[in-house]
Amino acid sequence: MSPRQRAWVLSAPALLLVIVFLGLPVLSTLATTFGDPKGPFHQYAAFFDSKLRMRVLWRTLEVALVTTAVSLFVGFVTAWVVSKAPARIKSLLIIAAVFPLLTGVVVRSFAWLVILGKNGIVNETLLRLHLISEPLNMLYTQFSVTIAMIYLFVPLMILTLVGVLEGIPQDLTDAAASLGAKPAAAFRQVVLPMAVPGLIVGSVLVFTGSFTSYATPQLLGGERQMMMGTFLYQRAMVTFDWVGASTIAAVMVVVTLVTVLIMSKLAQRLNPVAG
Amino acid sequence: MKTKTHPLLIAFAALVFAFLIGPLIIIIGASLSDSSFLTFPPRGLTLHWYENVFAISAFPRTMWTSFQLAVGGTALSMCIGIPAAYAMARYRIQLPRFLGNIYVLPILIPEIVLGFSLMKSMAIGMDMPIMASLMIGHALIVLPYCVRVVGASLNSFDFSIEEAAISLGCPRWKAFFTVVLPNVRAGIIAGFILAFITSINDVSVSIFLTGPGVSTLPIQILAHMEQFFDPTIASVSVLLMFVTVAVMAVVERTLGLTFLTK
Amino acid sequence: MTVSLSLEQITAHYGATKVLEDLSLHVGEGELVSLLGSSGCGKTTTLRLVAGFLEPTSGAIKLGERDLTRLPAHARDIGLVFQTYALFPHLTVRDNVAFGLKQRKVATAERNRRADDMIERVGLGHLADRYPANLSGGQRQRVALARALVIEPPLLMFDEPLSNLDAKLRVDMRVEIRRLQQANGTTALYVTHDQEEAFSISDRVAIMNAGQIMQLDTPEVLYSRPANAFVADFVGFENMIPMRAIGEAGDAVRAEMAGGATLDFPKSQFTVPSQDFVLATRPEGLAVSTTDWGIPATLGLRTYLGRAYQYQCTTPAGEVKANGPLSAPYDEGLHVNLIPLPEQCCLLPAASA
Repeated sequence: MSPRQRAWVLSAPALLLVIVFLGLPVLSTLATTFGDPKGPFHQYAAFFDSKLRMRVLWRTLEVALVTTAVSLFVGFVTAWVVSKAPARIKSLLIIAAVFPLLTGVVVRSFAWLVILGKNGIVNETLLRLHLISEPLNMLYTQFSVTIAMIYLFVPLMILTLVGVLEGIPQDLTDAAASLGAKPAAAFRQVVLPMAVPGLIVGSVLVFTGSFTSYATPQLLGGERQMMMGTFLYQRAMVTFDWVGASTIAAVMVVVTLVTVLIMSKLAQRLNPVAG
Repeated sequence: MKTKTHPLLIAFAALVFAFLIGPLIIIIGASLSDSSFLTFPPRGLTLHWYENVFAISAFPRTMWTSFQLAVGGTALSMCIGIPAAYAMARYRIQLPRFLGNIYVLPILIPEIVLGFSLMKSMAIGMDMPIMASLMIGHALIVLPYCVRVVGASLNSFDFSIEEAAISLGCPRWKAFFTVVLPNVRAGIIAGFILAFITSINDVSVSIFLTGPGVSTLPIQILAHMEQFFDPTIASVSVLLMFVTVAVMAVVERTLGLTFLTK
Repeated sequence: MTVSLSLEQITAHYGATKVLEDLSLHVGEGELVSLLGSSGCGKTTTLRLVAGFLEPTSGAIKLGERDLTRLPAHARDIGLVFQTYALFPHLTVRDNVAFGLKQRKVATAERNRRADDMIERVGLGHLADRYPANLSGGQRQRVALARALVIEPPLLMFDEPLSNLDAKLRVDMRVEIRRLQQANGTTALYVTHDQEEAFSISDRVAIMNAGQIMQLDTPEVLYSRPANAFVADFVGFENMIPMRAIGEAGDAVRAEMAGGATLDFPKSQFTVPSQDFVLATRPEGLAVSTTDWGIPATLGLRTYLGRAYQYQCTTPAGEVKANGPLSAPYDEGLHVNLIPLPEQCCLLPAASA
């Protein structure tokens, strides 16, 4: 066997798995959306005409963008503190960030049901302080979905950005200082520009993750705060409108892929090391 | 000796970590509460809800299914992912560049879309048994971790060591198992851990593929919650947190916790 | 503006570990002093203390009249060339060089003019708009040098600046560094583990070990007259033969070595420093001879060095290396005497070993 043949034989099982069980099924999902007798784009026209569907799309985009923005800010500041912490404390903090990340989405979303519920800690506290006279309805609102989503993604952002900040060599900030840059100037002129590609990567992870999430909006948003993921599931498994579900799937795929492509191009352009 | 971090930033980070850990502590508290609805802080303490987890037969059954899927799916994925990663690292010039991107498609495509598409093609189109389609689905979603993480190890592996073994008379396949694999062990362990965690926590793919009689633990939790809102769920969640602790202990023992920063 | 640098009784710790002990060093105006030693000897720590990246536990650092000891790094006004060059990857060559001027609030036009002048001076005029990723190692080194020089600092410091370059480039660059440093008359502190580099570039060299300066002198003195066994070993005195003075023999001091053989050192040529001492030489400092004065030895393996033959010799005091003339190759097993050549031997006090 030539090395070329050997390489392909070794790659074949994995390629087959992806092609047969991902490529073909997803393509067939996308293909069904163009099969409408009223014309290939009828499903999309219907999607963008429907107030309900557009509201779901906008809500999902809004939640994803807010989640991304808040996670980015919170994650960056926290990652900065973590990366500057003494080694012992640093590894403790990293464990504290990894632990929630490794704990499942269902468990972590469930925690917010307990916190924000009628008898939850927030309502109990507010009642006891006589700030409110009867429990607030915080569940099944855009707020409850967003806060749980932020909770879900902050650890990911922290860990990504700690990696980014640690990847900036100490020598560079030392060099900036030796050339007369005060700490704030060194941060602005050296650290921040070098962290930008990492900030973009982290944002893409959080945006696509929250845009396509299912479990969290299901638990904390329910029927009332439908998002793209729960909407797809509802269309597919409750109303059995598979073509409609496929259209939602297609919109999700396009939004995700376009975001990933544009942002990774941007990150590449802004990446100083690639020149 | 180092520049000091501003106290306001430290206070902010402390709040963030309280925000990260607090909800998990609340779950632990809720799981021990003796009231029949979810509440925190608990009024009286009981282990009743933990007994209840095992009294409801669906929980132990789905735990076992989830475990089988996590181990089986990851093992399957490793068996086909390691050769692919090896081919990419060893025969870099012989294979087109984009192959690496194909293996990460399961992460790139929204999971919920993947789940829906798999249901249509496998469960309905091919009429596959539930367990088989779940196994394939899980192998698929963990494939990126297997290929990428093992691949990273293989990329830093010096293949002249393998050539040395072959020149000393070791057959090619034997050299792979006795020389290459032991040297990328850390990558395999790391990939296995990430894959295991991904699989055991998966919702979006499993929710489409589970069916009558066969479910996974996260799906069972969701189903239980639709009907009952009692501390049993908190107890299951705590048990799942133990899995996380166990995984982190394994990471600590085998790779060191510094692995987690990468 | 030429000033001198003084380190006064500096002690420094990393956590609980003491890395420098009571170290004092004076670098005169316009002088280039190297800190030379193996890794962990404290040379880089010394440099980082002067740069302000570390703070000493006690002691003072002065640059001319200015006390730097507690000044933050960005206020010290020192040009520093890093081992890794530490070029800002997101900035062009010009912006890298102009970075220090920008911090000093030099106006843009003036800043770019001065940066371009300096880039021209290090021979990179055509690369000013490139990014560091697109430069060779030698070019990066020049940018790092230009960046440190353009702020016209009263003190230049170099942290193993050439260790990432290949051998030929290293020689070229060190000539260039020396040329630029002398042209500006800037005081300089240079850290390296490479003896040839330190000796070739420096006015004076401090050989360091375990957080202390073992000897500070001109390269010539260090090379031929090491003050102690550590420095002797460091500069290549391969033979170290312990001796003990046991009496006088006319105009000579008679010494006994391990194994019982004795040797008379004429007082006119040798100064015996203490009763117990060490005869330290390079192989060329021991001449293989068939006359009857010297250290008795049996010749072993002979190797050809081009300028001489070298012999592995067995003496009562152990194995030593000695050189013999090209004109008379001796055979293995021959009994000879090894004659210490006064101008190439040092007698060092044993306590220093």
